[in-house]
Amino acid sequence: MPALVYLNAVAFVSSQNHPILVRTFGQERENNRDIRYHYIAHTSLDVFEERITANPKNTESYLGLLYTMDDVAVYGYITASKTKIILALSLSDTVVKDAEVVNLMKAFHTAYRSAVANPFLRLHAPADAVSDHANSLQVGGAKWKNFRRAIDDIAASTGAISAPPPPPKN
Amino acid sequence: MADAQMRYMDGPAFDFFLIEMVNTLRASSAHAQARARKVEQEMIDAGLLPAPLPTPGMHKHHKDSTASLASRATAKVEDEEEGLKLRLEAIGMHVGANIAEKLCHGKPYFSETLDSIKFVCKDLWAACWDKQVDNLRTNHRGVYVLQDNSFKPIARLSSWEGRQDATKRARVYVMMSAGIVRGALSRLGLIGVVVPEISNLPQCTFQIKLPKPS
Repeated sequence: MPALVYLNAVAFVSSQNHPILVRTFGQERENNRDIRYHYIAHTSLDVFEERITANPKNTESYLGLLYTMDDVAVYGYITASKTKIILALSLSDTVVKDAEVVNLMKAFHTAYRSAVANPFLRLHAPADAVSDHANSLQVGGAKWKNFRRAIDDIAASTGAISAPPPPPKN
Repeated sequence: MADAQMRYMDGPAFDFFLIEMVNTLRASSAHAQARARKVEQEMIDAGLLPAPLPTPGMHKHHKDSTASLASRATAKVEDEEEGLKLRLEAIGMHVGANIAEKLCHGKPYFSETLDSIKFVCKDLWAACWDKQVDNLRTNHRGVYVLQDNSFKPIARLSSWEGRQDATKRARVYVMMSAGIVRGALSRLGLIGVVVPEISNLPQCTFQIKLPKPS
């Protein structure tokens, strides 16, 4: 599949603005540029706030292009549970269609939802505890393996840089 | 990959699960409580915990032993029911939160508390119990009362000991539904308490107390 968007990183932020997962793909990961995407996610939060207060009668979960910085374009999506999904795409000359980005966002949202629905995630938490998922999330830990794998699959399906090129058929 | 796989499940399975859950959790919560009491007793024996104050029942016991036995028995039964209800509510919270998330896939977040409550009354109720809430009242200060005239989980409950006994037993079964409502609201950002009440059998009201909107 031809690469349509170059996905640099995806970040999930909880409703209380705690980071849940920041994952970088492809070349960016190899060059150890992870920290930069933490910073990008952090600055995106301000833009989320602006857009939310500017438009209290909200009609869309997809917030579109939030801003661009250096060589990345940052897109945002906010779910019904106020979880924010932030995508960093590398700027390119090709026009990136909104519909594609929305699809990507929805796929990430679905993966997050399946991960969070796991009742074994917080087995010993008090029953009444409010679920701010960021706290229980040692997202580097074993329990989130499937989530990470699902995210990687989604990224690979976009033909992102992380997917190795298919071997030549001879 | 954007849309989740559709998975289908048998409608009555939910009712069967609820029945089995109540029985199983009753046994498991009794077990957990017996364990906790045993540890407490050991600590009291070892002198680590002060002995519990004698209950009023025990004072009277030389006068009227049957009364004290009855009160102690009901206190113990209520304790066990509490444990059972807590567990049911906890399970319900998890289920409710995830169902709400799934139902809201693609929909934008709710800017108004009232919108979230309406979502619960319509979409959540229809998804879980095939109908919508019959009556919604609010005092505009964070208290909402949802009334359902024929609440599905208890609509078919009956007891051979009579209506009152059935109503008493039904209270346990609605704890899970209360948990579902509470979980759904908490996932949408509204953290509060949901209290179910049954006055006449198929009719059930849920009182939702949310913190005052600032």
